[in-house]
Amino acid sequence: MKTTCIIVEDIQIAADFLKKFCEKSGLIDVKGHFLNVRDALEFLDQDRPDLIFLDVEMPGANGFQLLDSLTYSPKIILTTSKTDYAFDAFQYHVDDYLKKPFTYKRFLEAVRKIQDQPPPIPAAITPQPSIDMDFLFIKADDKLIRLKKDDILYMESMRDYVKFITSGKTYITYSTLKSMEEKLAGPSFIKVHRSYIININKIDDIRGNTIYVQGNAIPVGKGHKEELAARLNIL
Amino acid sequence: MKIHDGQFVFHESLNAAFLKELFEGDTIYAETVFEDFLRDLPAYWEKVQSSYQNKNMSLLGTNIHTCKTLFGYVGFTDLQELCQEFENKCTLNTAEAIQTDFNTLTRKKQEAQKIIENEYNRLKRYNEG
Repeated sequence: MKTTCIIVEDIQIAADFLKKFCEKSGLIDVKGHFLNVRDALEFLDQDRPDLIFLDVEMPGANGFQLLDSLTYSPKIILTTSKTDYAFDAFQYHVDDYLKKPFTYKRFLEAVRKIQDQPPPIPAAITPQPSIDMDFLFIKADDKLIRLKKDDILYMESMRDYVKFITSGKTYITYSTLKSMEEKLAGPSFIKVHRSYIININKIDDIRGNTIYVQGNAIPVGKGHKEELAARLNIL
Repeated sequence: MKIHDGQFVFHESLNAAFLKELFEGDTIYAETVFEDFLRDLPAYWEKVQSSYQNKNMSLLGTNIHTCKTLFGYVGFTDLQELCQEFENKCTLNTAEAIQTDFNTLTRKKQEAQKIIENEYNRLKRYNEG
């Protein structure tokens, strides 16, 4: 049985090469080619190919942000013309890393490698929540920014983006609040509203259904009141 | 360095050994790729120029990154390296500081485009013959 795949790649020549290689191999059935992460995620809402050939740098969201949004564990082969992503690739447990342009021989090695692997364990592809690390990296302003968890006041959902508010600066990254909730699992962060996760250590005061953090008013959703009360160290 | 790919000999500025491995003697496909390169590069380069003129260094780096990949597919591996160096410089410098590098890259891009135009025509003739 052929391995099903999609190609997420903004450069047409690169995508055409991949399609040609897939066809030539007789091992891979290409279900679709997407020029950006958003379109790919829409497809992945409906379909679950076995494998994703994923470019890293694309207009809008990048390949790692797609990985953050996945709800199942396909095989991943990163295709990029930069080698700088090797560490990220390792962290995301990608199955192989092809530097563009790559030859058919190298393509075949990568495909055989993933076909020789046992079926994936049903778990999220996202890296292990970095509970024990005191920082995270977010992609904003076309770069990866190291953000200390202690510096985050709160996060606000903006549809497909998340706004990070720190004391001195605000960052917007392509991600979901749900993904951030998983990444920041631990004692310091709590979801207080469908659109807000706050850093408990930064709360100044709470008045009624509003939390105040350094002058910012954050609403508390009805469904979150109980958990918030349980997490606060109320005397 | 000239290496025969079947009977077709790529221009000496191109990494012929790599192209031989990439196309595996399929000169019809090489013709298609060279044609696609000539179709896509001008549009991408327009974005490069626009981001340089607007001094948007981050976008300039991203746009050069795309062109770098394109150059690779037609065998300009040395130009790919030059693009990578330029891309790195974009993250640390102002548009003014990299003006000379930008001019060099623009000149090399023009030369590369000319070579690929000729190579495309040669491939076309070769495949027709």
